[in-house]
Amino acid sequence: MLDSSAFNISDLTVSSLRSSTPILLAILGETLTQRVGIINLGVEGQMLVGALAGFAATLSFGNPWIGLLVGALAGVLMSSLHAGLCVGLKANQIASGIAVLILGMGLTSFYGIPYVGQKIHGFHHLLSAHWQTVPILGTFVSQLTPTVIIGLIATPLVGIWLYRTRTGLIWRSVGESVQVARATGINPAFVQVQGVLIGGFFSGFAGAAMSVDYTRDWVENMTGGRGLVAVGLVIVARWNPFLALPAALLFGGSEAFYLRLQTAGVAVSPYLLATIPYVVTLLVLLVSYYLANKEGGAPQGLTAIFR
Amino acid sequence: MKFKSILAAIGLFAAITTAYAETKIGYIYVGPKTDYGYNYAQDQGRLYMEKHVKDVKTSYFENIPENADVERVMERLAQSGYKVIFATSYGYLDPALKVAKKYPNVTFMHSGGFKLAKNLGTYFADIDDVMYLAGISAGASTKSGKLGFIAAHPIPQVLRNINAFTRGAQSVNPKVTTTVVWTGTWSDPAKEAEAANALIDSGVDVLSMHVDSPIAIVQTAEKRGVHVVGYHADASKFAPKGWLVGAAWNWGPMMTKIVESIEKGTWKSENIRGSLATGDVKLTKFGPSVTDKTKALIAKKEQAFVSGKDPLWAGPIVKQDGTVVAAEGTTMPSASVEQMNFFVKGVIGTVQ
Repeated sequence: MLDSSAFNISDLTVSSLRSSTPILLAILGETLTQRVGIINLGVEGQMLVGALAGFAATLSFGNPWIGLLVGALAGVLMSSLHAGLCVGLKANQIASGIAVLILGMGLTSFYGIPYVGQKIHGFHHLLSAHWQTVPILGTFVSQLTPTVIIGLIATPLVGIWLYRTRTGLIWRSVGESVQVARATGINPAFVQVQGVLIGGFFSGFAGAAMSVDYTRDWVENMTGGRGLVAVGLVIVARWNPFLALPAALLFGGSEAFYLRLQTAGVAVSPYLLATIPYVVTLLVLLVSYYLANKEGGAPQGLTAIFR
Repeated sequence: MKFKSILAAIGLFAAITTAYAETKIGYIYVGPKTDYGYNYAQDQGRLYMEKHVKDVKTSYFENIPENADVERVMERLAQSGYKVIFATSYGYLDPALKVAKKYPNVTFMHSGGFKLAKNLGTYFADIDDVMYLAGISAGASTKSGKLGFIAAHPIPQVLRNINAFTRGAQSVNPKVTTTVVWTGTWSDPAKEAEAANALIDSGVDVLSMHVDSPIAIVQTAEKRGVHVVGYHADASKFAPKGWLVGAAWNWGPMMTKIVESIEKGTWKSENIRGSLATGDVKLTKFGPSVTDKTKALIAKKEQAFVSGKDPLWAGPIVKQDGTVVAAEGTTMPSASVEQMNFFVKGVIGTVQ
């Protein structure tokens, strides 16, 4: 017995967008970081710190916008550790990223305890009650939340900035070769620090989007591995901000889809269904590697890390 | 030098007198005590017990994972003079058994397990009776006839709650169905919120759940304007309009009895199982939309459960596929209730 109402296109689109937004924001940030030739595996830790700081700020100031901002800044703070270690001290980027990840998990578990079970007030509906009743468009938009829209606007902006502006070109050139960039009079360390910090900003914002906007709840380790998935999806998106949205939708969409399959009464093991997002992502990665050339848009500077 | 030794003597004296005066009791929680869920309920029990038993001093430890970490915490407590340790999470059972063997003078109480040792007992309570009662309010308030249940893992405790909830709803509206969405994790608020949204989009107008912390689901229900039946504790402040009622633990009196029996020396190792009749599980307060008629219906059924005249798992109990588990006039044996592995008719979902 299959209930087709579970696959209403408008509902499915909205829920996919909601599930994808934190991942989309994290992918955008990590793409920028990797574009300047630095890999940051600490995205998950930065998201957690952003989620907790955002929740705490919303609780104290009573304003979710301040919460989102504080969350993003907390992400910057965490990523500055990675920037200091990797760019300043030339430490191993993999080790430093994992340190940021574990530090973020530990700090938020400890300092998050008093915030569990607190009630915050999130965003109001985007549309007034009158507009919500408008068929299709009204019902569609009323289900969206501010961070979903911010994510959708940020994606093309980051893409245009990276590919169509002078600073974007400078960032990309640093990511390709630090030596060449230095020879042309660019300070690569300065650019790389910026790249890591903007990644922290996005991942902190992504975490705050989850706690402040989406769930209005703080729970230990609430990001549930989405930060780690985002780092992987940067590869699927070929280090291209424009492709960040389809990559995020691939994962978030399949997560929303597998929950919806259950509401339709599909008699398949929930544990098997829960693997859908990962299986789909892996398949796309395989296919895209097969179709594209092996280099696949990776900044040349990144390859040095694994040498 | 002299000053130091006097100080040491005072310290020793103080330590001895407090050791005699107070029984130190340690509580170990797998999550934070403020989660409005499982751990919150255990901690409410701790506070109640501390107030009602004389000369006890409790300490609590939050966010302790179910691995070697909890063993270390228990060892430290046992070594620093704690006489009773409440290991409140299911996965603490084997570590507790191990540590209990090493410290025969410390009494261990584990929540939900079924293994015993000389100095280790277990405690739990049948909350499915209360889920049935809460289900009545869901069945009475649904307009679409579709209920939704968000749950973590298909284990017997969870299946009992889903089946009890559904049967309670069916007792007032036989056509009601419950759609189950598994999240596969005890705690992932974003997934729980999305599951709630998915159920509401499919026409569900009353939600219930069995996850560690119900806050995200309760808030999503409120935001979308549907009703919600809570679990573990009273979370009505997160849904002032949509809250119907909840099934909650009431560990205080049971913990008080346990600690008193340990102090008197009458404690023995056993599996304590509380019920609605002993007051260890109860309904939370009702939300504004529950009618007096429904409340009366629930009160009547509660009486029937408490008196034992009409047990929850009395037939007819029919599986999803139509097989009869317990015919009319018979009752499911408690052993098969404890190992429940099926959904009753009217539940949409799968248990594997």
